[in-house]
Amino acid sequence: MKCECEQIREKSADYLAGELDEKSLAEVRAHLADCPACREELEGLSAIWTKLGVLPKEQPSGALRSRFYEMLEAYKKDMEKEREKQGFGQTLSHWIRRLMPRRPAYQIALSLVLIAAGLGSGYLLSVRSRSAARTEVAGLKSEVDDMRRIVAVSLLKQASPSERLMGVSWSARIDRPGDEIIQTLLETLNHDPNVNVRLAAADALYLFYDHPEVKEGLIDSLAGQTSPLVQLSLVNLLVEIRERRAAGALERLIQDEKLNPKVKKRAELGLVQLS
Amino acid sequence: MKTIIRLAGIIVLLWAAGLADNAQESQADHAVVSFTNPAKPGTVEVDISEGSIAVRGYEGKDVIIDARWREKALTKEEQESEAALAEEGEELDQEELARKKAQAEKAKGMKMLQIESMGLTVEEEENIIRVDVEEGKRSVDLLIQVPFSTSLRLSCRDDERGVTVDRVDGEIEVETSDGPIILTNVSGPVVADSSDGEIKAVFGKVTPGKPMSFSAMEGDIDITLPFDVKASLKMKTDEGQIFTDFDVQLTPSQQKKEEDERKEGGGYRVSFEKVTLSLINGGGVEIQLTTYEGNIYVRKAK
Repeated sequence: MKCECEQIREKSADYLAGELDEKSLAEVRAHLADCPACREELEGLSAIWTKLGVLPKEQPSGALRSRFYEMLEAYKKDMEKEREKQGFGQTLSHWIRRLMPRRPAYQIALSLVLIAAGLGSGYLLSVRSRSAARTEVAGLKSEVDDMRRIVAVSLLKQASPSERLMGVSWSARIDRPGDEIIQTLLETLNHDPNVNVRLAAADALYLFYDHPEVKEGLIDSLAGQTSPLVQLSLVNLLVEIRERRAAGALERLIQDEKLNPKVKKRAELGLVQLS
Repeated sequence: MKTIIRLAGIIVLLWAAGLADNAQESQADHAVVSFTNPAKPGTVEVDISEGSIAVRGYEGKDVIIDARWREKALTKEEQESEAALAEEGEELDQEELARKKAQAEKAKGMKMLQIESMGLTVEEEENIIRVDVEEGKRSVDLLIQVPFSTSLRLSCRDDERGVTVDRVDGEIEVETSDGPIILTNVSGPVVADSSDGEIKAVFGKVTPGKPMSFSAMEGDIDITLPFDVKASLKMKTDEGQIFTDFDVQLTPSQQKKEEDERKEGGGYRVSFEKVTLSLINGGGVEIQLTTYEGNIYVRKAK
């Protein structure tokens, strides 16, 4: 029942104003007939409504108007007084002026002291961060190397000879090539179908000749090459790096009957240069 | 899609039967082949042992192949080398057999088109057109017309006429053993090698960012580049000379590359690069030029 009473009381204002539709009106009347509490409440409410209805309308008195203008005037005067006072910025510069030494010599001295203090604290900070920066740079370097390695290896597997050439030139830019790059370059040198790519691989490997596998690889490669230009290039490289162990490979090359006479001549000269 | 036009050798049979009169006439084969996907630049691969290859770009989508068989009979020398090859042939037969078997597998469910021919085979697969010539007794001169953007892989051995390419913008990979390589109105990238022939290449423009390389054992390398090309040339020659009319920044041929990383726990590396590196217009696309005896000419286009 309580719930119903609440619903009815919500509608009581509309009921008194006569704005309920027929259905709600019937509901409210039926409830009021059964519920003495609601009836009492509504009677009270009705009395207040009637009294409100007879209250005279409040009119602003003439005094209100004059009081308002007085207040406005007073506010304006306060604002003007505020403006006449010194601003905060001016106060600050006044204080600084009082702190600064009067004579220029002292002024310069003070600035120098301040600059020195700035530099000093900067230096202290940089010393602390320098070792961190160094390891960071080393990290970046190896990251760049890793990236180049990945790019180089994937380019070296492309069908386009131009892209494989690009792969060789990426490999040549790696600081510490690692076994994977050396192996891939040796494979390119020995098996790439294009003479130009093989030549480029030989040149790139030459840059890494201090890597243990490179010298062996260059020597072994000599026997398998068919292009006279690649053979010549390898003979040149082996002589250049003064690789004594290459002598055996050169001798075997010279004994090959099908060998290009110019390569043979160069290899014979190479043998003399190496001994 | 896969197209095989097998132009088999009826004429060969007639000729073999002794009808020498027929063989004296110059025979021509003609084939038109389209790419699987004509919207995408295709590739044409040609590998012949005796003959010449001429490729020309044209405004069209198909590849047009004309083969002209030379009339000349075998010289005595060639007959001898044929005989020598036949002797060596024993081992090769197994491989040849396997290859034929694989080929038959490829053509399964298709019929062979019989055209009067000396043995020209044209195959298309995944936008690659392969032109093969049966290792015959006569040399062939191929004229191939391709769409401008086609890439080329050309190989030509044992012939003095070599390879010519005109007006092709795709990538060009070309090798010859005896004949010259002559490229005109190309844009690269070009990767060319000739053992005994010369290489001439005239570039209308140069595709940036794609390395190129030219190598010749005995012949000269002569390339013409646009005047405003940005290029980094790596040139290496043992006995030849290098000429150019470009203003180049030259670094010495014995460049010492020194790296000292000992302070940082690394190594110390000194190496010598035995190449002449020169930059045109500040450097750019890498072009490597390698000869043994031949000269290198790098010309500025007029």
